[in-house]
Amino acid sequence: MKQKPRVAVFDFASCEGCQLQIANLEEEILELIEIVDIVSFREVMKEHNDNYDIALVEGSIMRPMDEERLRDIRSKAKILVALGACATIGGVNKIRNQWMHDEVVRTVYGDAPVYGNELFDVSKTKAVNEIVPVDYYIHGCPINRDEFKHVITSLALGKKPEIPRYPVCVECKKNENICQFELGNFCLGPITRAGCKAICPTHNSPCEGCRGLIKKAETKCVWEVLQRYNLSYEDIRRRCTMYNYGKEECNVDE
Amino acid sequence: MSDSNDVKIISKSDFDTFVNNLIKNAYFEVIGVKEKQERYVFDLLESADELCLDHDVTILPPKKYFLPQTEILMSYDLTKSFNVKENLEVKPRIIIGMHPYDVIALEQMDKVYLDSQKDDFYKKRREKTIIIASDIQNVSDRSFAASMNTNTTDKGFDLLLTYIEDKYTITIGSQKGKKLLEKYAKVKDAKEADIKKIEAVRKKTLKKYKKKVKIPKEEWSSFLVAKYDSGVWEERSDRCMECSSCTMVCPTCYCYDVKDEVSLNLKKGDRTRTWDGCLLHDFTKVSSGEVFRQDIKDRYRHRFFRKGNYLSERYGFIACVGCGRCGIACLPDIADPSDVINSLSHHKRLDDTGKFFIKQETEVAETNIIHIPRKATIKRIEKLTDAEKLFKIELDDKKPLGGKPGQFVEVSIFGIGEAPFGLASPPSDSPTFEIAVRKVGNVTSKLHEMSVGDKIGIRGPLGNGFDVKAMEGKNLLLTSGGIGMYPMRSLINYILDKKNRKKFKEIIILYGAKRPKEILFLNEVEEWKKCDDTTCKLTVDRCEQGECWSGDIGLITTLFPKIRVDKLDSKNTIAVVIGPPIMYKFVIKALQTMGIPDENILVSLERRMKCGVGKCGHCQINGVYVCKEGPVFNYKEIRNLPEAFE
Repeated sequence: MKQKPRVAVFDFASCEGCQLQIANLEEEILELIEIVDIVSFREVMKEHNDNYDIALVEGSIMRPMDEERLRDIRSKAKILVALGACATIGGVNKIRNQWMHDEVVRTVYGDAPVYGNELFDVSKTKAVNEIVPVDYYIHGCPINRDEFKHVITSLALGKKPEIPRYPVCVECKKNENICQFELGNFCLGPITRAGCKAICPTHNSPCEGCRGLIKKAETKCVWEVLQRYNLSYEDIRRRCTMYNYGKEECNVDE
Repeated sequence: MSDSNDVKIISKSDFDTFVNNLIKNAYFEVIGVKEKQERYVFDLLESADELCLDHDVTILPPKKYFLPQTEILMSYDLTKSFNVKENLEVKPRIIIGMHPYDVIALEQMDKVYLDSQKDDFYKKRREKTIIIASDIQNVSDRSFAASMNTNTTDKGFDLLLTYIEDKYTITIGSQKGKKLLEKYAKVKDAKEADIKKIEAVRKKTLKKYKKKVKIPKEEWSSFLVAKYDSGVWEERSDRCMECSSCTMVCPTCYCYDVKDEVSLNLKKGDRTRTWDGCLLHDFTKVSSGEVFRQDIKDRYRHRFFRKGNYLSERYGFIACVGCGRCGIACLPDIADPSDVINSLSHHKRLDDTGKFFIKQETEVAETNIIHIPRKATIKRIEKLTDAEKLFKIELDDKKPLGGKPGQFVEVSIFGIGEAPFGLASPPSDSPTFEIAVRKVGNVTSKLHEMSVGDKIGIRGPLGNGFDVKAMEGKNLLLTSGGIGMYPMRSLINYILDKKNRKKFKEIIILYGAKRPKEILFLNEVEEWKKCDDTTCKLTVDRCEQGECWSGDIGLITTLFPKIRVDKLDSKNTIAVVIGPPIMYKFVIKALQTMGIPDENILVSLERRMKCGVGKCGHCQINGVYVCKEGPVFNYKEIRNLPEAFE
């Protein structure tokens, strides 16, 4: 029997909810460990081992010490997978990139003596691929467990995972939802990468774009839709702040 | 018009009892139109109270009950070498409330899915479904069914309801429908006056249509041909979100994709089929990464040509029933066919460019599509180049594969997927055949890891191969580039076989590879050179320092001046060209210069052949299915297809 790939899970700035999604596989965890050896996963085990093939990296990169740690992980991993929106696109952590760092630190920590402490040495929030090359992406906030399983089983079988590069609308239509725009809501589904099975619009909540944009907001077709629904570029820019702040380009060919 | 014997009448309350009787019967699954927020959907009925028959249009068409959004075609056990079962359990269903346009759309789908190669999943669902259609009472703002003559129908249903002043008339459309009524409903014969009311109701509804199409549907096909190069396509597609919502909600869009998904422990897996849309960027993407309708303008136009020209020329119907669903679903509002046709009619009429989008379909024997592949074993693996291997495969049932040079097979590896491969060996009586595989995608990479004795699945041979009979008595000029040599080898080895060689006259083989180390079957090339009346010339595009090569260097076209054209009777020569897309244009030009008529030029084209039976839509070049009418084409037949050699 071929040796099982060794998998390590790492976290950076995040709520750790994507790791929790893995932990929430519950009894399926037993199936997972049939195909991989989990050698490091802080959220569910105390053992740690630096000898791994696949690194699953959750969280955004905020500090020089994070960059250093991430580079170290990259150098040890054969395959690096970005896990969840914070890692794949920067996600909610990028919201603060719209303010000066000093301002952010002062707002959060007030007069507490954090200056000069490297733990608080935050700079601009970055997605994982802004520091090191990423081989595969598991998108979403939080990740979709089925997609996680798809990526892991694909890697175990030696095939390239298939991550959609079409918008959420495809899956939303298959679910026979009423379009959020028709209901008077502003949905980012038409420009957001599918793969979530349109979970938010299916539960009557417009898409927030957590899986990353596949079309620039500044395109003619988007303008057409905004106009039709009395919205402006300012509206969409604000709307994209939640997960896609400052994301001018979208990497559809990831 | 139906006579009075076929029309019954039922009171509103008796109708509710009828529906509730059906629901109570556990044998059926009863589907009906229900409200969903302010729209309507087809869904499982729990009581007759839920049923709406005054709906304008449902979000999705009832297509989902015949070709579901996602369905499992087969399940396999990966702990065994080849263990697969088809999933064909279908519960009998009754669908209540289908409007005439949806009934007509389903009849169209029958023509596609139940044509000479029947889809067994579709067929079974179709057979087990009873359709209780309903005449339209309320018209959607976006519907133009009246223009498409799909606002009423007198066939395609088992029963048809028409609401006439707190009663329903029920028009019987089939024996199945008649029996259902006899068993579950209390009906009376309709009177002459009631039947007159049906017509009155329909006339009243007809006035409610706001949208009209200016070009009669009978003219759509030729009208579109003349508008192929119209600026309207670019102007409108410029605003396209590329979301394919239009195709998802369409009752006459039925392209699909097939995927393999495995359980987390890799022990079990399913091959699933799911809706796909031709507006999506990756729809035509082949494993080497090439996308054949890269430009959104081309994908946008494709949808309308498919509806108005490609399917209509092939099957005889316009694949738009005017339901208006795409108009509702499209956010920038560019998808509505009535708007497209009308705006094309505003634009200056272009001259008929004389393009043809369809190749006459060759007779195909009636069969059921077998989704499950045949079990086969890898018998030999030979390394050809660093990235290519030749596989000898034997069918486990020991029956010969059959087929012609130029045909292809779909190779399955459960858990990974299915991919098409041209046959690299000539047809033979033995159960073995060969395919050559370049490592480019998931299936090819996995094949490269496999060993002798491993099991794979085979479907085929599929497609149109070389008509070798028609080549007899002719000179043959065989030009191939790169991996075009795979299928060419099948043809060459057939022709040069001692049994066959005398049937053909002079043979010239021209072969170009990128670099010396990428030359395929070099040993065989040397053998071919030794054959009587056979010339074989080889060239490489370039030769890096340190590579050993004493032959010609230059593109394949540099070999043409080296052929003694004077010796070759060009009218009596058949030229075969197989190579990368870029090669065709230049080689065909060279052949024409030599005086070889277009009808004597044969080409083999590569596209995304997924289903192999002309259903899934991925391999289409304009109106032609490469998997069915191709991959081998006569150049004359496809030279006017704008998408063939872009």
